[in-house]
Amino acid sequence: MQNRRKFIGQSVLATAGILASRTAIAGLQEEGVKKLTILHTNDVHSRLEPFPMDGGRNQGLGGVAARAELIRRIRGEESNVLLLDAGDIFQGTPFFNIYKGEPEMRAMAAMGYDAATMGNHDFDAGLENFATQLQHGNFPLLICNYDFTATPMEHKYQPYKVFRKGGLKIGITGVGIEMAGLVPENLYGNTKYLDPIQKLNETAAMLKNEDACDMIICLSHLGNKYKDNKVSDEVLARETENVDLIIGGHTHTFMDAPAVYKNRSGSDVIVNQVGWAGIMLGRLDFEFAGYKRKNLAKSHTVVVGKKTME
Amino acid sequence: MRKIGSFFFAGALTTGLLFSCTLSYQAQKVQYNDYRIGSGATQDSAMLVLLKPYSDSLSKSMNDVVAVAEMPLEKKQPEGTLGNFLADAMLAMARKSYDMQVDAAFINYGGIRLPSIPAGNITRGKVFELSPFDNLLVVQKVSGRVLQEFLDHTAYKGGWPCSGISMQIKNKKAVNVFINGAPLNESATYTIANNDYVANGGDDCTMLKPIPQLNNGYIFRDAVFDYLAELKKQGKSISAKTENRVSNAE
Repeated sequence: MQNRRKFIGQSVLATAGILASRTAIAGLQEEGVKKLTILHTNDVHSRLEPFPMDGGRNQGLGGVAARAELIRRIRGEESNVLLLDAGDIFQGTPFFNIYKGEPEMRAMAAMGYDAATMGNHDFDAGLENFATQLQHGNFPLLICNYDFTATPMEHKYQPYKVFRKGGLKIGITGVGIEMAGLVPENLYGNTKYLDPIQKLNETAAMLKNEDACDMIICLSHLGNKYKDNKVSDEVLARETENVDLIIGGHTHTFMDAPAVYKNRSGSDVIVNQVGWAGIMLGRLDFEFAGYKRKNLAKSHTVVVGKKTME
Repeated sequence: MRKIGSFFFAGALTTGLLFSCTLSYQAQKVQYNDYRIGSGATQDSAMLVLLKPYSDSLSKSMNDVVAVAEMPLEKKQPEGTLGNFLADAMLAMARKSYDMQVDAAFINYGGIRLPSIPAGNITRGKVFELSPFDNLLVVQKVSGRVLQEFLDHTAYKGGWPCSGISMQIKNKKAVNVFINGAPLNESATYTIANNDYVANGGDDCTMLKPIPQLNNGYIFRDAVFDYLAELKKQGKSISAKTENRVSNAE
């Protein structure tokens, strides 16, 4: 009886400890720590081959063959990898002038891209061409703030997609830039632009509450930030909820480190962008801790650090 | 009693394990490391095979040398050598192809798609990269008032390449504007060249949208090729300088 009472006592204490402290749960669930590696590009602009060796600033940099090899190596080392692109896949080298996007889509399919969003230059050869070229890719194009009703793109995209990676549920969506004044009207036709903040909030809330996603990623072609109050990734991060990570594009911004903003409910949002032309491949290694759903914090912080290369 | 107790606790433990299977996860930590895809990096051979037919076909037409640059040309705001060269090409070819007096020519800054061009041989493919869009070279007759509004817009955007004009940027507006060697006169009429993207209101140039265009279907990139061919014929190579066409007043 003595032993049993002691056992009950210890159990009650342990249970109370678990309920009281999340850190304790995380501590007890060491094996519950999950990892996810995000690899990303943006504004590759048809740069399939490296910049030529002509003495230019970017000579020898980029190219899909070197990127494919690097991605293959990382996939060999990490079990949970998502490969993403934030748009402007097309336009910028003669590959696009002559082949209208076919080799770009085929190369991305071969590299195993999981998803991409669309940029303004992906419309440069028109909506019909864009819709046609997508058959050469095998990955979804995600965007929640363009309405393509009654256009050739109508059934060629998804507003979001849920990915399952090593026990994690990752919701991914995308937002695109306003095309009026930026893209010639005849190229985007009846495509309707909807408020990216409102649409992203709606989509992210649904991914969080109905699909119970552990992480929500937004692929954005809005641009990193602007001097005036034009909507950007910075604005998006501050004005939304439930989004954990924004992979940006459009402004061709090379960042020394990802930016971190507090969103509307005080949680950290990470924003990263890797310049243009496939000169860089972005890599973010996330670590997750498991909580009972009711114990999830309303707001949470993410510790950001530079990965030391082994 | 002991057995029942153990059974009870074993049950609780199982329930606990079940709960642990329905955990939600939250990102705690992120480590970043962006790779630079450098020259000499190992290449994926399957990807090279995929590219080869496209690449071989392109190299037949895109590797011809169409010009030689005496110096590296840079894309810069408020003014850069690459922009000045392209704006000069636009003005010269607008005058030639429309056979009329054109006062000034402009290039939207975002329309120049390479940050620089190195000194040396310039291939056909490089000109495609510089100006990949199939935009047309068009001409419009505008009032001095509309021209001022357009120049204010280019000033707000940080300064656009131009030829035949000089201006300063002050408080995001165009000031001290000179055209044809005289100050801009708001009630005069000027003939300006742009690409049709800009003339159609692109890059938020709404003030140009309602104005009729002369449009002979001349692709701006072809105008650049023709300009380069003419330079070559005259035995000239490309050079350009910045000369306070656009400068910041403060």
